[in-house]
Parts: sequence; C-alpha cells; structure tokens
Amino acid sequence: MTEAATLTYAFAVCRGGDLTAPAEPFAELPGLGTGAPVRTVAAGPLTAVVQDVPAAGYDEEALRRRLSVGAELERCARAHHAVITAASALAPAVPLPLATVYLDDGRVREALGDRETSFLTALGRIAGRAEWGVKVYAPTGPPPAPAAVPAVVPAEGPGPGGNGRAYLDRVRTRQRGREQRHALALRAAERVDAAVRGLAVAARRLRPHGVEVTGKHRTHVLNAAYLLDLGRERELRAALASLRRDETDVQIELSGPWAPYSFADGGITDPGAAP
Amino acid sequence: MTERDLVHPPSVTDERHPSDLAEILERVLDKGIVIAGDIKIDLLDIELLTIRLRLFISSVDTARKAGIDWWETDPALSSRAARDTLAQENAELRTRLHALESRIGAEELSTVGAAEEERHP
Repeated sequence: MTEAATLTYAFAVCRGGDLTAPAEPFAELPGLGTGAPVRTVAAGPLTAVVQDVPAAGYDEEALRRRLSVGAELERCARAHHAVITAASALAPAVPLPLATVYLDDGRVREALGDRETSFLTALGRIAGRAEWGVKVYAPTGPPPAPAAVPAVVPAEGPGPGGNGRAYLDRVRTRQRGREQRHALALRAAERVDAAVRGLAVAARRLRPHGVEVTGKHRTHVLNAAYLLDLGRERELRAALASLRRDETDVQIELSGPWAPYSFADGGITDPGAAP
Repeated sequence: MTERDLVHPPSVTDERHPSDLAEILERVLDKGIVIAGDIKIDLLDIELLTIRLRLFISSVDTARKAGIDWWETDPALSSRAARDTLAQENAELRTRLHALESRIGAEELSTVGAAEEERHP
C-alpha cells in the first residue's frame, strides 16, 4: 500500500442540511495552517468539517511529537477550537477531540456512517444549547487574622517540653483550620453546582485543575460544565451574581458560551433539572 | 504568591474568557471519544500531554511571577516535595521527642535516686 500524501483531519460533525447555505462556509479559516482549505465532507445525513493535512506532519509519530511541544500543542488546540467555534456559530456541531485524523475522506464517511445514530442523537441534544463552564475556588492563604494567632502560646516557653507541646498544638490547629475551610468551600461548591444545575439540561463534572493552573493561592473545588438553552444566559448570570454575594468563602468563575464540548458524547442528563 | 493575592477578597471574581488556554485544552483533550480516528494517540499519552501542557501554561502565566521551579517544592504538586516536607517534620518531631524523653528520663533518675537514698540512708 502506498502512503497517501495527505490525511484528513476532522474538527466537527454537523447535520448535512445545516451547512449548505454559504457554499464553502469555512474557506476563509486557516484551520491548522496547512494551506489547504477547511471544507466539508458529506456522509449520509451528516457532514464532517475537515482539512487536508500532510501525512508527513500528522501521522501517528509526527502528531505525537508535535503535540509534545507546548507551543505547538497550544497552536493546534487553538486552531482546532477556532474551527469548532466557527462551525457552532453556523449550525449545531459535535466537536471532535483534538487530533482526530483519518487516512482519507472515505474513512471519514465510514466512521461517520458507523456512528450515525449516536451523532444524530448528540446533535439533537445540543441543538439550540450552549455549554458554560463554572469553576469554584477556595483561597488557600492563611485564615483570617484572629484564628491564625494562637494567643495561648507564650513567646518564651518554660522549656523544651512546653515548646514541643505548643508546636504540636500549632500544627494541629493549623491543620484543623485548613480542613474546616476546605469543607466549607466544598459545601459552597455543592450549592453553586445545585443552583446552576437547576438551570441546565445537562451537567458534567470536569477534573479540577492542579495548582499549576490555579496558582498556589487557591484550590479548585468545582470544575463543572453545564448545557443550557440559548435563552437562559441572563438567568445564569443573575444566579451567579447572587451566589457570589452569598458564598463569600469561595471564588466563582464563569466561562462561555462554548461549543458543547462536554456534552458531545452524553453528559449526565438530570431529568427534572430544568423546567 | 504575593501579599496582594492573599488579601484579595474571595468574592471578587474575574470572568474567564473562552480564549483561556487551560479551558480550551481541557475541552479539546479531556473529552470522551465520540469517534475514533485512524491515527490514534492513546489516552495515556494525552494525559501526559495535559500534564506537560499545564506545566507549560504555568511557565507562561504563573511561574514568571512566582519563580520558575516553585512546583518542584510544592507538596500539593510534587510527591517528592511532599515526602521532603514530611521527612523534615518527622525529623523535627523526633528531635523534640528526644529532648522531652531525656528530660523526663533525667527527672525519673533523680527521683529514683532520691528514693533509693531514702531507703539506704
């Protein structure tokens, strides 16, 4: 078998009829910057948004190498996201994961054909809806001043024994304080989640970010994604404004609207959650 | 970490932009696979990539302010650092325990000594 010079990189999947209005809706997008246009491939009732990429740069080995370089991973992630965002602006679009690559258009059609029902279901679920991200953080700095000063510890202990006990007391108090604050923050996060879930048709918990992303001064206690009907943005913002007033132990961040990345393959639907 | 970060009121929030790299990455990488491509990069690799990437992000955003290698010594992030912290605390406690024991030991000896003196005047 001879190696094809190009592979087909797939970004997103839409319903076929939805993308016919402008003839080449994505022609202006750079995509991954390979020089080839971002185009569509029809497969039955579905359409994939794709781009030709050179096999030499995007086969398994090259892709792995490429994505191992921070700057290149960022470039690819942003390019991938830009095409998905553009597709979502035109029609309901199921985002595909970064680096979904096929040998050719024929393989794209086969793959879409194999999963036709699940794609149509996913498209039905996300139509008219957008994803929002809510992150809740607990500050990790020292607790407010009064609790931090163990007034019972004399500056000059009576001897090594007194100092040792005082030391253990201090460690224990500090640890207890940390645990209490963390428990408070977790409960606050649950209340935030419950409130936003009430507005959403589906919700999903994402992995909390590590300290590399949050910074040392705060811990991530909730990282959640919610699928909301397009008309509910104002309600969402109002709910968060009120939560921010009430939940003073935590920081609450909102991001979105996103293409429904977190709900492409299901998501935890909560029947009874949305009216 | 700066003083300013600590006194920053918790309720004040910034809205994150969808252009935030960490948010984009968790969405384009961390998702369940709807469809498998012909060219596959397995999940373990992606996991490694995200870890590396998060370090990369920190090197751009946070590390510049906080010192390039602070995560090396952060117990929350580095298990080695966590072990070091534990070992250090352990050593400190042992020293204090030793001091206490020798002090009590000395007191007991002198008490016993006094008692024996009483018995054998």
